[in-house]
Amino acid sequence: EGDKTGEEDDKDDKAAQSLLNKLIRSNLVNTTNQVEVLQRDPNSPLYSVKSFEELRLKPQLLQGVYAMGFNRPSKIQENALPMMLAEPPQNLIAQSQSGTGKTAAFVLAMLSHVDPNNKFPQALCVSPTYELALQTGKVIEQMGKHYSEVKLVYAIRGNKLPRGTQLQEQVVIGTPGTMLDWCLKFKFIDPKKIKVFVLDEADVMIATQGHQDQSIRIQRMLPKQCQMLLFSATFEETVWNFAQRIVPDPNIIKLKREEETLDTIKQYYVLCNSKEEKFMALCNIYGAITIAQAMIFCHTRKTAGWLAGELSREGHQVALLSGEMQVEQRAAVIDRFRDGKEKVLVTTNVCARGIDVEQVSVVINFDLPVDRDGNPDNETYLHRIGRTGRFGKRGLAINMVDSRFSMNVLNKIQDHFDKKIEKLDTDDLDEIEKIAG
Amino acid sequence: FGSAAPVAASGFGQASGGFGVMAPADSLFTPQSQLSEEELKEFGGKRFTLGQIPLKPPPVNMLVV
Amino acid sequence: RKKGLQTKAEQSTLKWYQELQDSANQCAQAFEGLNNTKDIQTKKLRMELQKAATIPVSQISSISGSKLREIFDKIDKLLSGRSVVSGGKSVSTSQHPNGLDFVSYKLAEKFVKQGEEEVASHHEAAFPIAVVASGVWELHPKVGDLILAHLHKKCPYAVPHYPPMKDGTSVEEYQKILGYRVEDGGVEAQDSFLKRMSGMIRLYAAIIQLRWPNGSKQGPAPHGLNNGWRWLAQMLNMEPLADVTATLLFDFLEVCGNALMTQYQVQFWKLILLIQEEYLPRIEAVTSQGQAGSVTRLKQFLESSLRSRQIPPPKGQLSSHFWRS
Ligand SMILES: Nc1ncnc2c1ncn2[C@@H]1O[C@H](COP(=O)(O)OP(=O)(O)O)[C@@H](O)[C@H]1O
Repeated sequence: EGDKTGEEDDKDDKAAQSLLNKLIRSNLVNTTNQVEVLQRDPNSPLYSVKSFEELRLKPQLLQGVYAMGFNRPSKIQENALPMMLAEPPQNLIAQSQSGTGKTAAFVLAMLSHVDPNNKFPQALCVSPTYELALQTGKVIEQMGKHYSEVKLVYAIRGNKLPRGTQLQEQVVIGTPGTMLDWCLKFKFIDPKKIKVFVLDEADVMIATQGHQDQSIRIQRMLPKQCQMLLFSATFEETVWNFAQRIVPDPNIIKLKREEETLDTIKQYYVLCNSKEEKFMALCNIYGAITIAQAMIFCHTRKTAGWLAGELSREGHQVALLSGEMQVEQRAAVIDRFRDGKEKVLVTTNVCARGIDVEQVSVVINFDLPVDRDGNPDNETYLHRIGRTGRFGKRGLAINMVDSRFSMNVLNKIQDHFDKKIEKLDTDDLDEIEKIAG
Repeated sequence: FGSAAPVAASGFGQASGGFGVMAPADSLFTPQSQLSEEELKEFGGKRFTLGQIPLKPPPVNMLVV
Repeated sequence: RKKGLQTKAEQSTLKWYQELQDSANQCAQAFEGLNNTKDIQTKKLRMELQKAATIPVSQISSISGSKLREIFDKIDKLLSGRSVVSGGKSVSTSQHPNGLDFVSYKLAEKFVKQGEEEVASHHEAAFPIAVVASGVWELHPKVGDLILAHLHKKCPYAVPHYPPMKDGTSVEEYQKILGYRVEDGGVEAQDSFLKRMSGMIRLYAAIIQLRWPNGSKQGPAPHGLNNGWRWLAQMLNMEPLADVTATLLFDFLEVCGNALMTQYQVQFWKLILLIQEEYLPRIEAVTSQGQAGSVTRLKQFLESSLRSRQIPPPKGQLSSHFWRS
């Protein structure tokens, strides 16, 4: 047995990963790294803010920000917001890993710059996919909740407008193809009147055929003084080249990706003789500690399916994320999981790669991660259980060991990271309770 | 009934098979007879006085004006 | 009685709080033998009892009414001394003289932890957890008192009680008493602390307004809305704490404001008006830059309530449709 890894690799494109991460996340990612700022004009003073009040936002927008439950700007927002809201507007290229507050930042900038009295599009935002555009649209709607004069329209496939329509909405969010059509072919939008242009997820964008070209063609139609903003989670050479074509004279903000570390993780292993014993151990763990939500990794789809069945029989609400699912199906599973409809997510590594599990308090390796040759897959191990930020959320990782072979794998992982993985006796309640601390 | 008395003697008997720990207010409404003069004044007035809100819930006949 | 805002809760509140703590401690003492047993067989039994108590609570979700009933029945059976099957094994509290104490204590603790962990990051989870808690409370009042004791210990603001710093208490110890998590790395960040406190207050606000729908008893709710009145009145009689007061008032009102409004009508609106006109300025006076978020959310809530003369029912409330699912 074994998953057809190769086949599934292709499906796991960047856009899907980005979407699933958005869906599973309900929090800011913890960052301790410093923000790096490169100003176009190095002589102009560098502003950073520690509170939203300092930004002198429109009251309706400040209320929207607070209504979303925010209290203070995130690390990247501290620097990016003053720059984006400055008069005259400045161009910006910003890079930081997903979950650091980029979307919230540019949405605030778009809403701040449009004039609600003018009934035509003034801010455009392009996203790589239909689903991602919907997600960003949701943020715009939420943040603009108290600013009802400003309206939003989606330039996405399926949203057909009658010929000759002149859009009244101030903000348009969409995918590059439809957006280009709306500007060029159908003329629903007058590009000359655009004040803010946002290009989100640039790294995902260039990974998709045609998107790069379409984005550039949109950008060419915009007036010179239009504010150009570009965001990306990563910054390879190709992204950088693209960014410079979209954003002239940019300010640049970079936030180094937080290294994943095992420092804040308590790691344990449990010795078992069979998958049935592993399952019993799992039940004992559940009885002893409070697990808001757990993610359980299995090596094969077959094991994952079996485990999900056993857990359901015990009365647990289980979601199964499996490789043969379409992106939409996976998104639906994750949505329900985040909603708390299901509390346990059982999955194989292949289809959960790229998903940030930082939100999940316990990660269980029902099978240890190994590569196709059966060697320990350290990178995957780190990705599954590693956390970012020294004062980030504490995590708990439990590894199930069921043979000499897997004990060997565990030892190698332990040596690789030079961090002790403690043995846990799941028949001893006191011991399990202790680890929850 | 002085206002400092431990609240609501009512329903001691029915008080739970628990530890019998009595909550400071244990019924949905407070009978007027169990309110001190000050408390009645608070419920009777148009406004509460800052720092003087009775912890006992209002009497059932003082919910509308 | 003193004029103006007070710095601590009323005597009756503190007495109640203390009594609950005392009886919870007594309960813990009663099963100490079971807890510290060295006997393998008894240890096994303890494990099975704990699993039977806590696993059902961790399974509570908003997936369906029938599922919730199953969970409730399982807990009720366990507390009634009947045997339940968990992980293929049958277990009952009658197997140990202190089995019931142990199970009640663990169960109560679990309800509170679930609020702290789960409701904190997912507000709507408060309702299914609260409705089961309320049902269990009604049939087994002792568990209810234990829930309160655990809740008060983890979140003194649920009393509400602002423990004073006593001579000889270390700062670290005091932070713990105030509900902060303190570890080797230092004290937890304010936002994370507030989030957990919100979770527990939301759970409490949900419990006092909910009743298990299939309860046969006609009497009053085991811990009903009068406690909502008491909590709110006691909060508002005390000097506000920066960030904490605004955050928790908003959480509380968002969850049970609608129920309180329906129950106490004009008297409730008098509370809202008092907050808006007199108490909010007092909160603002202790609020510093960067803490405006919590105050703004509260203010916004009050304004829209007063404007519409309505408080909307909370999001995530279980509908009658849910109970048919
Ligand atoms: N200042 C803030 N305070 C608290 N939460 C925030 C803040 N900014 C963003 N968030 C939340 O953090 C999560 C990630 O933010 P998002 O803007 O989507 O990041 P990115 O675009 O970098 O992936 C979202 O759930 C968002 O609501």
